[in-house]
Amino acid sequence: MTQQAYPGLIPRDARPKEQVVLFSIGEYSFVISASSVQEIRSTDGLGGNVVDLDRPVLSKVRHIVERDARSYYVVSGYEHFHLPLSRPRSVLILRDVPVAVLVDRIEEMAEMRILLGMPRSFRGEELIWYRGLTVLARKVLPVADPRGFLTAGELQRLEDENPGLLQTAGRPVGTSRHERERV
Amino acid sequence: MSAENNNLIPSFVVLQVGARRIALPREGVAELIASPLIYKFPHTTPLIAGVVLRRGRILPVLDLGPGVSGALSPSTRFFLVVERHTSNAPEKCAIPVQGACELVAGIMVPAADLEGYVTGHLNLNGEQIDVLDLEKAIALGAANQNEWIPATEALS
Repeated sequence: MTQQAYPGLIPRDARPKEQVVLFSIGEYSFVISASSVQEIRSTDGLGGNVVDLDRPVLSKVRHIVERDARSYYVVSGYEHFHLPLSRPRSVLILRDVPVAVLVDRIEEMAEMRILLGMPRSFRGEELIWYRGLTVLARKVLPVADPRGFLTAGELQRLEDENPGLLQTAGRPVGTSRHERERV
Repeated sequence: MSAENNNLIPSFVVLQVGARRIALPREGVAELIASPLIYKFPHTTPLIAGVVLRRGRILPVLDLGPGVSGALSPSTRFFLVVERHTSNAPEKCAIPVQGACELVAGIMVPAADLEGYVTGHLNLNGEQIDVLDLEKAIALGAANQNEWIPATEALS
């Protein structure tokens, strides 16, 4: 029996695809895998769920935010990428790491079809920040590594200087040992 | 001069970086390209001005300006694609150039000071052109740019 062809069902492009979120900080755009983002919120929408860090050992992390009984270190996107002061209006709450990233804008969702490693000439912090580079709409964009916003060493320093805070930050108002305020 | 003799004379690519004309051995140069767009994103590697897309490949743009002319190169749409041999594998990079590049044949007079990034000199119609060791020029430029950062911070 001959196999019947279904041209409409044959994928035109068999390359693996990945859904990504395009976001911007200052004049720069980035992408991050959509599967690594738990939730996207407006900074206004965070309300009273933000707790100050006792000892902000990293200038880019000054708060913890609590969402759905989990707590996340709030990382300033512009400080993380050493960019000039910007006006973050959105928060990317990440899925598998205790990190929420302040970004200026969410641009769009897109489909990433190519992920290229960083060229070997790059030797700085970008090797931690990015999984690689992609091309979307004929533009080259860096693909943020969700684990690059806070390295294991940075997480350890935050925990050492603020012991137990990440676990206790989710308590109801009144039981927290830290004053709550907006980001 | 016969073509056979010509093949024995080393050739160099003369390029303009900022206000200075320099030369690179022809063997390390792949092509001269015009790219309308340079894509920039945050990073901390000195001398890298961004990346360009060339035939589906992403090439880092390495500005030799801080090392060889003491200033960042002016914006341009022309890049000389060269091959670097930094680690295990070679990598193509794009060097911003101003104006046309020239392919010349000539005998290089070795530099007296081998510590610097100039390996020798070419005499082109009376003009002395420095021939660069690309990796040394990049290393020196990176060191210079690192020095600029604290100076800039101190002034701000």
